[in-house]
Amino acid sequence: MSSPFSINGGAAVAMVGKDCVAIACDLRLGLQSLTVSNNYPKIFPYGDVYLGLTGLATDISTVSDLLRYKVNMYRLREERAISPQTLANLVSSSLYERRFGPYFVSPVIAGLNHKDGKPFICGFDSIGCIDFAKDFIVSGTASDQLFGMCEGLWEPDLGPDELFETISQALLSAVDRDALSGWGAHVYIIEKDKVTKRLLKGRQD
Amino acid sequence: MAGMFAGPQEMMGYSFNTAPTSASEPRQHSFYPYTDNGGSTLGISGADFTIMAGDTRSTSGYSINSRHVPKLFLIGGEGPKNKGARIVLSVVGFAADGDALKEKLDKEVKMYKYQHGKPMTVSACAQRLSHILYNKRFFPYYVHAILGGIDEEGKGALYSYDPVGSYEREQCRAAGAASSLIMPFLDNQVNFKNHHIPGSGEGHDLKPVVATPLPKETVIELVRDAFTSAVERHIEVGDGLQMMILTKDGVEEQLLPLKKD
Amino acid sequence: MNHFPQAWGRPRDDIYGHYNSSYLQTANPTQHTQSPVVTGTSVVAIKYKDGVVIAADNLASYGSLARFTDVKRLRKFNSSTVLGFGGDVSDMQYLDRLLNDLDVKENYSHADDEASQLSANNLHTYLSKVMYKRRTDFNPLWNHILVAGISSESEPFLASVDLLGTTFSSPSLATGYGAHLAQPIMRKLVPDEEAVKGISKEQAVDVVKECMKVLFYRDARSMDGYSIAVISKEGIEIKENEKLENQSWQFAERIRGYGTQVN
Repeated sequence: MSSPFSINGGAAVAMVGKDCVAIACDLRLGLQSLTVSNNYPKIFPYGDVYLGLTGLATDISTVSDLLRYKVNMYRLREERAISPQTLANLVSSSLYERRFGPYFVSPVIAGLNHKDGKPFICGFDSIGCIDFAKDFIVSGTASDQLFGMCEGLWEPDLGPDELFETISQALLSAVDRDALSGWGAHVYIIEKDKVTKRLLKGRQD
Repeated sequence: MAGMFAGPQEMMGYSFNTAPTSASEPRQHSFYPYTDNGGSTLGISGADFTIMAGDTRSTSGYSINSRHVPKLFLIGGEGPKNKGARIVLSVVGFAADGDALKEKLDKEVKMYKYQHGKPMTVSACAQRLSHILYNKRFFPYYVHAILGGIDEEGKGALYSYDPVGSYEREQCRAAGAASSLIMPFLDNQVNFKNHHIPGSGEGHDLKPVVATPLPKETVIELVRDAFTSAVERHIEVGDGLQMMILTKDGVEEQLLPLKKD
Repeated sequence: MNHFPQAWGRPRDDIYGHYNSSYLQTANPTQHTQSPVVTGTSVVAIKYKDGVVIAADNLASYGSLARFTDVKRLRKFNSSTVLGFGGDVSDMQYLDRLLNDLDVKENYSHADDEASQLSANNLHTYLSKVMYKRRTDFNPLWNHILVAGISSESEPFLASVDLLGTTFSSPSLATGYGAHLAQPIMRKLVPDEEAVKGISKEQAVDVVKECMKVLFYRDARSMDGYSIAVISKEGIEIKENEKLENQSWQFAERIRGYGTQVN
């Protein structure tokens, strides 16, 4: 319980669909068993690529800001938006720089590749090892529950609406069995030329 | 010559007189009487049936002891094969405690019939199991038990326990290594948690779907889905799926293969 | 020669260091075995269509010292069962005495009655209760035991029980290092109960010998002299002074530090 990864609580998940991807997170921020905020989103946009961060709240802000700076610098130098694959490598190398004093975060990335429009998701451990998954990525204190839900509900080639329903049900049911996550959710459905953000009202306990 | 009669104080060079003549302190206890044999179980009760299930893998650390060690046991009935038994106990955790608990409950249910001339009801058996677990409150049976049967009204009955005997009747329960993976799936698919009737309101006014008992075939499918999912993501779950389907007609046992990796 | 009886037969501190007094008899609380002392390593066993093959080497180690090189760790119990002991040797000898007493009592109560003899599964149940009782009393018998024989249903029987009273059965079993090194080899031959029906005695004996060889190569607490027993309805064939055959140390050539090369 005093692990830095489970002081503040939180959950995030990303899923692949047919020509679309989804990423979602809960909204709780806590100090051990005490909830201090019920509006603490853990997904950060970098252009049209999205990054979910769970773990220690202070490191979530630090890492998200650090990456915002790095992604902005990339855009200024390259004069183009960053692709999900490039962001993945940027996150990985940034985390590995702190190999022996890591940021206590478990990042998740979701986006569509700019050139071929192919869905891309990936996850990381706190020192930057990339997990390229073809189906879904989970992270946070409800990761066990999310694994069970996603493994049971997810199927290949879901359309945007079906994918929204799947990721929402997976996240809501998972966080309901985790004392450190919940209090509503944010869900992003990313399609070729449209991103839909929905706010879910989950159980308020 | 003087040396011959000298006291110990003159025996320089010899240090034996400092040797202790009794043990200074008892040595440290280092024996830990428990181990975790992994695996997962689950139970779901319906209108007129109860389904119990468990994988058949037994582990010690990263080793697989055996691919076929059942975690579901018939309780009561006749003889060592429990002929005609109507109650099923599932235990997951420390297998030796699980076996001891099973034998104790089975013996007591059989003694009940011998002494009272009628089979024990599920509710009575459930309370007895709670007492057996609590009796070892300060050296517990390291198990998560689930008890299934058909109650006096013919409805499916399911009771789940913690290691020291606190218990509750429920619609469904997952236990063991992959319980954290399976339980939210059951909430969602059996009790329809987070399911709402579309267009019935905004936000919290949205009407939840009321859970109704599921047909047997649907439940069997859910059990198989739950375990195939758990096998993918938990290394201690796999090899075989043992299912016991309890109805008014008795207990039907099924054994299905699971992935062995 | 000194004249002080306290010194006689006692190692001198200045030469041998301080005497470990925790081994001395006292009126302190009862001491239990909290760790094994003289130990046997792996036992391996596999079922075949008409019976079971079981083997263990003849070594009893004292830590890393190969202390006793002629200790028989396979023990016969009546005409249908062989037990293979891993772990503490003195606890094995205690259990052997216990089971011999049981055998004698059984023979008195039903002499010459083959049908009512204790079979392998009965013995396994008995042993598992002894082991579980002792762990519950916090006074464990520090062993992992394989029970190989013929069950009351006249089928091949193989099961195990350990110091915690944990029991399980499988077409092939191995204790200690054998669980890591021998089980993968044996499971390839008998992945499930169905496969057992297609295995001959020769195949089973060959794979067990192969396992003993692999264990000798890689388990530092093992030896090349071993015992092997075959249990079938026809009875027990036990050989207690076998030597490993066809050893090939060619693999060592490629491993730095194993062969003759220095660097």
